Amino acid sequence: MIELREVTKVYKGQTVPAVDRLSLKIPEGETCVFVGPSGCGKSTTLRMINRMIEPTSGTILINNKDIRESDPDRLRMGIGYVIQQIGLLPHRTVAENIAIVPRLYGWPKEKIRKRVDELLELIGLDPETTRDKYPSQLSGGQMQRVGVARAMAVDPPIMLMDEPFGAVDPIARNYLQDEFLRLQREMRKTICFVTHDINEAIKMGDRIAIFNKGRLVQYGTPHEILTRPANEFVSDFIGYDRVVKKLGLYRVADLAGPAGCVAREGELPEIGRLMREKESDVAFLVDAHGRPCGFLTTEDIGGMGDEISPQSLMQKALGRRGAFAQREMVLRDALSLMLEYDTEYLGVLNGGDLAGVITLSAIRKHSCRKEGE
Amino acid sequence: MNWMRFQDALFHRAPAALAVHILMVLISVVVAVVISVPLGVVLTRPRFRRYGFIVLNVLNMMQTIPGLAIVALAMPLLGLGLKPTIVALVVQGLLPIARNTIAGLYGVNADVKEAALGMGMPAKKILYEVELPLAMPIILAGIRTSAVYVVSVGTLAAYIGGGGLGDLILTGLNMFWSEFLIVGAGLGAVLAIALDRALAYLEYRITPPGMSSE
Repeated sequence: MIELREVTKVYKGQTVPAVDRLSLKIPEGETCVFVGPSGCGKSTTLRMINRMIEPTSGTILINNKDIRESDPDRLRMGIGYVIQQIGLLPHRTVAENIAIVPRLYGWPKEKIRKRVDELLELIGLDPETTRDKYPSQLSGGQMQRVGVARAMAVDPPIMLMDEPFGAVDPIARNYLQDEFLRLQREMRKTICFVTHDINEAIKMGDRIAIFNKGRLVQYGTPHEILTRPANEFVSDFIGYDRVVKKLGLYRVADLAGPAGCVAREGELPEIGRLMREKESDVAFLVDAHGRPCGFLTTEDIGGMGDEISPQSLMQKALGRRGAFAQREMVLRDALSLMLEYDTEYLGVLNGGDLAGVITLSAIRKHSCRKEGE
Repeated sequence: MNWMRFQDALFHRAPAALAVHILMVLISVVVAVVISVPLGVVLTRPRFRRYGFIVLNVLNMMQTIPGLAIVALAMPLLGLGLKPTIVALVVQGLLPIARNTIAGLYGVNADVKEAALGMGMPAKKILYEVELPLAMPIILAGIRTSAVYVVSVGTLAAYIGGGGLGDLILTGLNMFWSEFLIVGAGLGAVLAIALDRALAYLEYRITPPGMSSE
């Protein structure tokens, strides 16, 4: 656990504090994202945790121990550190770069070699081909991954990451974020993560600390921040699409309901009766193998008594072949799909099988209910 | 042009003179390196950084004193012979090495140093494993400049009995023997070029792999 108590930093020759009476607790195993505009003190705060910068006043505790009691080098050896510019040693190979901290700990050669290969596998690089490369021979994304591997070399319980994915292109960044989330789910490290990108903060953080002008403006879970912005600065910083952003926190599975009515092609003429029987607003059409290939809603079937040919019903259903969402899809993407297909329903899939239905009204109720909470 | 005299100069006088010259240059450069590189390192440490400007200026001033003047100044203090010569040559050789050491160390990418520090590398280890290896090509370039310079100034040593190729040149001047002049000056030039090439090769070999593109 990391705890900051009334931490203030005033840089030499400046009167305005870069960080002003900051108090913050980061629970063990959680990712805390420091986010805010440039010059808000987020990086300074991060660098005070491993004593790269000494606070002017206040106390920083790691596992209830004042960090000023530890030797700075020993302290830093126990904390993974990743910076935006990565800072791989250009005259050392990838393996040597990853081995820096293990060597400081005096690990035996064989153990270091094994750990390096293990880490390279973990970050998705082939040890055989990557081990002896020099940093200049890697792509930006690969370098950043090596930087992360280097920080994790001795499996430190705490990691500090200063805009680690800031210098890579958006596609690589998205991929690195997903990879990192996957790793973090297994590792459960205590992570401080600095970014100026609110979307990254929402995606990566268990908790978000929003900074402005050296002060902590709001500290809470992404849900809390998006639901109840503390002031105008926070809501401006999040943007007008905060409800849509919040939908990014939840998955289709969270709101999916039972599929209700499932029919085969042959049952199309009596589809209206079937739906009324099952009291369902939507009927899924499955093919001979039981795979969903579209759906119909009460609107399509029309009022009672009207006869619509099975062929046109079939065509309507098949037009929604793509209007299905995986259980793992975030609600934001599901909403986008609904808008795209001009429908209030989406079929929910678990792999290739039909697993339920999600409705626009459920999403609407979900967003609105959380608003009022 | 007297062929006999040329042969005498080249085969009888030159070998000893060249040996003395090489010795004098090597000692001077080694001493200059031993003084300048640590000086450059100290002057880039945060505690002494502010003195860097003063020291570099003093060295710059020393560099502007003509070689002959330094040799002449050294004589009354240290007498005749090789010793005052080497002192004079060291003084002349300090600046390029110190200046390049400082430039090289400042030139090391700040992010690399920050990352090394952030990983818990002690300052000494950062100096030896990160800063010096990365600054080495530039430091070596300084040593190269210095060595070539010392070879040429070294010919002035003959005036205070330091020996070396300057002896041949002086003899040539005094006796109007152009053969001695040609051999003395020619070997000096060859020595300067050879040393420069040798150090350039070393520089190429020592440039950290993966950095050669820079």
